[in-house]
Amino acid sequence: MLVEQASTGSGASGQNAGSLHFQIERRFLERKGGLGLEGEQTATLSRIAIDDWSTLEDRLGVSLHVHMNGGLMVAENADQVAILKAKADRERAMGLSVETIDGAEARRRAPYLSEGIVAANFMAAEGHADTRKIAPAFATAATAAGAEIQIRTRLTKLEWQGASFRAEIIGSEGAFTVGAKKVLVAAGVWSARIAAMANLHLPLFPVGLTMSASERTPHFLPHLVQHVAQRLSMKQTEAGNILIGGGWPSRLHRVDGIFDLSRPAELIIQSLRNNLSVATKTVPRVADLNLIRTWTGVTAVTPDQLPIAGEFPTMPGLFCAAGGSAFTLGPTFARLVADQMLERERDEADRLLAVASPARFDSLNGFMGR
Amino acid sequence: MRSQADITRGMPVTIEVDGQMIDSFSGETLLAALVAAGHMRLRNDQEGQPRGFWCNMGTCSECFVSRLDVTPVRRIRACLITVEDGMRIATRSISYD
Amino acid sequence: MTNSIHHYDVAIIGGGPAGQAAALVLDQNGARIAVIDEQQRPGGQILRQPPQEFAMAQSMKGKSYTSLKSQLRAFEALNRCDWIGGKSVIGIDRSGGTVDLTLASGDGITQVSANRLLIASGCYDLPIPIPGWTLPGAMGAGGLQALVKAQAVVPDGRVLLAGTHPLMLIVATQVIAAGGTVAEVAFDQRQSFLARLLIKGAGTALRNFGLMLDAASAWATLRRAGVPVTFGQRLSVIEGLNRVSSARIGKRTVHCDAVGLCYGFLPQSDLPRLAGLSVRWAQPTGGWAAEHDGWMRSSVSQIFVAGETSGVAGAPAALLEGQIAGAGIALDLGLIPMDEAEAIRRDAARKQIRVSRFAALLDRIADPTSALTALRDANTILCRCEDVTIGAVETALIQDSDPNSVKLVTRCGMGTCQGRGCEHMLLRLAAHKRGVGPNELRGFTSRFPVRPTRIGDLIG
Repeated sequence: MLVEQASTGSGASGQNAGSLHFQIERRFLERKGGLGLEGEQTATLSRIAIDDWSTLEDRLGVSLHVHMNGGLMVAENADQVAILKAKADRERAMGLSVETIDGAEARRRAPYLSEGIVAANFMAAEGHADTRKIAPAFATAATAAGAEIQIRTRLTKLEWQGASFRAEIIGSEGAFTVGAKKVLVAAGVWSARIAAMANLHLPLFPVGLTMSASERTPHFLPHLVQHVAQRLSMKQTEAGNILIGGGWPSRLHRVDGIFDLSRPAELIIQSLRNNLSVATKTVPRVADLNLIRTWTGVTAVTPDQLPIAGEFPTMPGLFCAAGGSAFTLGPTFARLVADQMLERERDEADRLLAVASPARFDSLNGFMGR
Repeated sequence: MRSQADITRGMPVTIEVDGQMIDSFSGETLLAALVAAGHMRLRNDQEGQPRGFWCNMGTCSECFVSRLDVTPVRRIRACLITVEDGMRIATRSISYD
Repeated sequence: MTNSIHHYDVAIIGGGPAGQAAALVLDQNGARIAVIDEQQRPGGQILRQPPQEFAMAQSMKGKSYTSLKSQLRAFEALNRCDWIGGKSVIGIDRSGGTVDLTLASGDGITQVSANRLLIASGCYDLPIPIPGWTLPGAMGAGGLQALVKAQAVVPDGRVLLAGTHPLMLIVATQVIAAGGTVAEVAFDQRQSFLARLLIKGAGTALRNFGLMLDAASAWATLRRAGVPVTFGQRLSVIEGLNRVSSARIGKRTVHCDAVGLCYGFLPQSDLPRLAGLSVRWAQPTGGWAAEHDGWMRSSVSQIFVAGETSGVAGAPAALLEGQIAGAGIALDLGLIPMDEAEAIRRDAARKQIRVSRFAALLDRIADPTSALTALRDANTILCRCEDVTIGAVETALIQDSDPNSVKLVTRCGMGTCQGRGCEHMLLRLAAHKRGVGPNELRGFTSRFPVRPTRIGDLIG
């Protein structure tokens, strides 16, 4: 049984801007020590995710507007180019196919790029997919495979009872109880609260982000565009809207010192202006388009910025899949965690998910658990 | 059609819409000039079906057109913009092809 | 984006009867005010004025306009109040302690900051997804009226007015006065239904003599002009190839070149919802009306509402609410002693009793519910921006009856108008599916920018 408090895909999986980014993320470069060891660690997962996304539409039997026409991470000066080159070296060492091209070559492949772009890392597998379609497609496929999906249904209690978990649930038709041998928490930013129901700490911290959409315009932007030194992601949807994001903050509501996740995060106008500024500097023609909508979404980050996927050592039987990059890596996490839960090629799944395992935060749960 | 009952309009102006010259009067909204000229089709939907304006009060977004005689080019609501002599309008969206 | 921000005691969004009334009270009490409107000149939709360059002798005749017109003249004579016409408010931000508004126009972005905000942004024609309503020539009757009375332009050929709202009698006479041709005025309701309501509400109707007289004289004018006014035959289809050429009314086909659809009005609710104001579903026409207290304070501090924003009740009611809001804001800012504010409020509240009864009567007369219930044509486009049909929405509702899920799955409401056209009908369909009232559902989230805004204007 899948229990969802709102509707399938109504959280971050439906609210994010749909980037399929497989290069080492720029946010990993922001931290001290520079070149993103964390990013390197996820490169293996990225390689698998590329295969997962390439075949997802066939496996689910429905169009998800998956476009893998390549992604460009652009640079505007020599320092940034140096980062691009070092990054590409590392990525190639990890088996990701990335090339550094100069500004002229970048504009040959992507004529919409500004003259200010002096180089770019190009990765052919990158792209984007339609976030509106993914969760409903998985839900349909899961239902067809025999899963029971309960929407507008809320978990109120989760406890281990010696041989199995007991979950108390409230749905539109009243309260009921479910027993389960294994439980997966994949509730995005709410995951920490579900873990707390089971008396466990899960170090996931909510982060409000900003995304926006232009009016529709004839297709001109087939790639995913990112910037190596500034927060930016840009792509054009099947319908023709340009989606602009890249990690600009929005403001979470707070009540008594606690982040209120029941309300959408508040737009910070300056954040949006900065985001649009980077976007128009990179792709000047979007300046002439009308912005039709800006929205905020809430995702969750961990202390080391890496996702959390796998089984809690303190509470065998309880699994988690959350914590960032989960649109791009989501289908891969789903497959591997399912393998773990079903004890199906478990060792291989454990090995691939080792980088994301909740075990690395196990010290937090020394006093917690059953 | 322009009403002739007890009305003095502004100075005559000429605007260009999709390459066609249209007569208008200073003070008129672009939408009024288009309606007076019988230019009711303002865009096509995704199936190629014709669309006209609906609300004439800035709300429905059906009358968005591109204004080409200004820098930068602007996507504007015809019902809220006042005509200017030499105004150049394309009813299609901005295209780079 | 310009960085010079003009600061005021009070910003008023909407230069219609409510905004003017509030401005007059506030100006008298020494407040520095800005009134912002998308139209170039004050008046609102009800008194939408011709351009300054025009001289129109017979603009806005009719008894019901008299007091509104004298208020407009008084408002235009204010010399301390800043009129900011031709600009759209696209955002409201209270994070800095003041109420900061972002304004957009063809000249770019400007900002206005104020200690208090009054939202009096009016209403718009109920969008009615009838087969053929997307054809060029099919339009809201209010939009048609604005074209005729403020621009002196009528659509070529024969104009059909159809719907449930008596305003269409007046619009029809205005079309004729401007030299246009009215094919028919077709009321959806049976005449006996209207007569019954009018007899029941006779006292109320008589006390609102001006409006009733206008409607009655409109009817007489139409009869003299040989325009059929029909009842009880529903408009079911608008037909045409490249534009409207006919319409089906009952079993008849009426040849026409334009149709004004007149089923009532929805409050403009995107700014109230963007600012987080509590709203309620407005029965029976629909849309979201902002909640308020006796001083027209909204649920959000510093923000007041008046006029159709608080529920569509017509211009006389809007004017009175504007006076109360003006007094309420003046009181809030310490510009006026309690007894003076209370005197203004009491006087307006006394008059409100009469006009609100009339508004309620009009609501019952014009109730579009049965017309909307009859509109379930699967192939008709509901969301004009994204070309989403009623059928596509109904299919999505089978999977999940949450309006916001349907929005995500179908794109209904994701286009340039942000759902102003389709939300009410999607909510009605979802409510029907779930067996609840639309008031029990969560509507769309209002997003910045509330009107489409050039990206290059927003940067920096």
